[in-house]
Amino acid sequence: MTDSSLNDSLFRLSQAEREAALLPVLTELTEHHRAACEPYGRILSSLGVDPGTGFDGIADLPWLPVRMFKTHELRSVAEDEVFKILTSSGTTGTGASRIYLDKDAAAAQTRMLGATLRTVLGNERLPMLMVDTVSIIRNRRSFSARGAGVLGMANFGRKHVYVLDENDRPDIEAVRRFLAEHGDRPFLIFGFTFMVWLYLYEVARDHGLDLSNGILIHSGGWKKLIDRSVDNAEFRRRFAADTGLTRIHNYYGMIEQIGTVFLEGPSGDSLYCPDFADVVIRDPETWAEQPVGEPGLIEVVSTLPRSYPGHVLLTEDLGVVNGIDDGDWPGKHFSVLGRLPKAEARGCSDTFTGAAA
Amino acid sequence: MKITQRFPAGGEVEVADLLAAVAEEPDGGPLRFGDERIVDFLVAFARKLLAPTTARRFPELASLGFFLRRGEIAKALAGAATDDSTLRFPRGLVFHVPPANVDTIFVYSWALSALAGNRNVVRISPRSAGAAQTVIEALNEALADAHPAVARTQRMVTYDRDDATTAALSAGCDLRVVWGGDRAVTEVRKHPLAPHSRDLTFPDRASFAAISVAAWQAGDRRWRRDTAIGFYNDSYWFDQAACASPRTVFWVGDPAAAAVAREEFVAELSAVVVEKAFVTEPAMAVQKRVSAYGVAADGLVHSIRFAGNAVATLELTRPSDVPREWLGAGTFPMATIASLADLVPVIERKDQTLSCAGFDRAELVELAHALAGRGIDRIVGFGSALTFAGTWDGYDLVREFSRLVTVPTTVS
Repeated sequence: MTDSSLNDSLFRLSQAEREAALLPVLTELTEHHRAACEPYGRILSSLGVDPGTGFDGIADLPWLPVRMFKTHELRSVAEDEVFKILTSSGTTGTGASRIYLDKDAAAAQTRMLGATLRTVLGNERLPMLMVDTVSIIRNRRSFSARGAGVLGMANFGRKHVYVLDENDRPDIEAVRRFLAEHGDRPFLIFGFTFMVWLYLYEVARDHGLDLSNGILIHSGGWKKLIDRSVDNAEFRRRFAADTGLTRIHNYYGMIEQIGTVFLEGPSGDSLYCPDFADVVIRDPETWAEQPVGEPGLIEVVSTLPRSYPGHVLLTEDLGVVNGIDDGDWPGKHFSVLGRLPKAEARGCSDTFTGAAA
Repeated sequence: MKITQRFPAGGEVEVADLLAAVAEEPDGGPLRFGDERIVDFLVAFARKLLAPTTARRFPELASLGFFLRRGEIAKALAGAATDDSTLRFPRGLVFHVPPANVDTIFVYSWALSALAGNRNVVRISPRSAGAAQTVIEALNEALADAHPAVARTQRMVTYDRDDATTAALSAGCDLRVVWGGDRAVTEVRKHPLAPHSRDLTFPDRASFAAISVAAWQAGDRRWRRDTAIGFYNDSYWFDQAACASPRTVFWVGDPAAAAVAREEFVAELSAVVVEKAFVTEPAMAVQKRVSAYGVAADGLVHSIRFAGNAVATLELTRPSDVPREWLGAGTFPMATIASLADLVPVIERKDQTLSCAGFDRAELVELAHALAGRGIDRIVGFGSALTFAGTWDGYDLVREFSRLVTVPTTVS
């Protein structure tokens, strides 16, 4: 890490400081959402959480299953104040999440995402290599989650060069030109994990490209790389050995908590929570918080969501806390272990509907 | 248009060839209603399902085996007896489209149709597994000693979603039997039938339970326990997703007494869940939260309680606003009503089974008359909700699978 990034770090709060700082804000947010979002208020009342309830800790806050944003319209701003509706289809094809942002929320998510990333990127906007195709953002009418991710991240760099051409083929010459121009100083690389592996690592290795001044930010999960026996450690090791790239930061985030990303520390051992966020790993049997080292469902907590009740969300991802206040940065640090399978009932419907019957 | 023939075991066949083959007259002449060649085959098949190893592994196949014993078959046929001036015959070729995820229901509808003397083509979903595979193996084994007319006239096939195949089978059949969700029925109905042919459809249904508060109060430990076990079997067996699985539970009687009775019932049910070692997978636990929070968000329920992950009880805001969709295995909206008559305005055409505990038959008959066929096709005791019968969804299946020819006793 450079000194400038240390100064600007948004990863400074110890777990005790974080609890103390966030709990009042999250409690206030819970009251705000229950008053502003009637369906959310009804859920809390049904669970016996009365208005004005105090909480002993972040883990005691009532959580909402993240899938609720696919099944219900949950917003805490008036309809005419909605500035932007984010949608994501997710992987199950069961409909899209709909996330409602007003002007303030839209600005806040960009600002906080930027502040989070400055911890590893520094204050300067860096030349940026996009491991994707430019056509992913050109067709604005059919905007995919991937396109939204690429576009959102593009703000944090400049002089963007896309690694893939219009036909999804690696454009070696474009990458060579980018490196010739910017490769001797820090530059930013962004892409989805599997695309980074398929289209940047393999191409850089085969063509002997030097990525040693790059800072790679990537996300999207390891599922597609498991077949190739590539996990995070192998990913980092091979990038370092074959391309010189060592500054690699995976991140974990979701559209339902837009603007909040859990960022991998410099050593690559864990994901860390920015100072306005936290995680709780829950035992899916008792729903109690798991101790360090015990896997469970990941609950993501952030003070950012004010225009929709997304401040405490139970995901369908499995994870484990690797330690508290003992990693690269303070607070809890954790790993994502995979996804819960979808619940399938043995009912008497769906003769022809559903996936490829 | 190739499809895979699984009974009789075979490879790929062309749909046209299949239709031509089943149209040929079998040895010993066309099948008759209640044909002995079919009866003997079904009885031999039932015996295989009742073999201890199979019955232990798939209890639902044992139920099927019981359903197909010679005595039961005779009863089903006797129920369709006609007067002297009326003769009963098969409809012809019946095309069955059963649901993908209840493994055995296709066997009931096929068996009754075969018993009625029909030629049958059953489309088994490529997604079906487990019990369905065992059924097909048992059918093929039973075929060894069967009359060749069985193999000639009865086919079970698998094909991936393929409109052309469904269209060809639809156009060629005399009766189409479609099980499954509303969307599935609508999809299949896009394919026209021959003018004389018709559909027998089994779309989405919803089912409920009703318990007499007074009976619960009066019931001894044993009765309460049996009630909870019966309820467990009805609701947890197919993850509460079968059409006949009860979802909302109505407590009929005094509200104060009902509040106590409910607590006792949930405790009893929780004990049964533990005893039966029912496992709520994490994905199902999350599904239940999503569903329960969802109906709360919609205002349909105003209280959610979890007795562990296995038993969730939701308090309905208004008894008339019952959620009819699946809410996950072991999720029970509840309401207290003063009398069974209060159910009448709640019930819709979509509603199928009412599982009851603690009522006199006379009360239930009175309820049926009050409903007047507008909804609820079956009223059964706890523990029998999932027991298939020859009368289903309001249809007497053996009659539906046959046609009548009249010859007056005096013809001048």
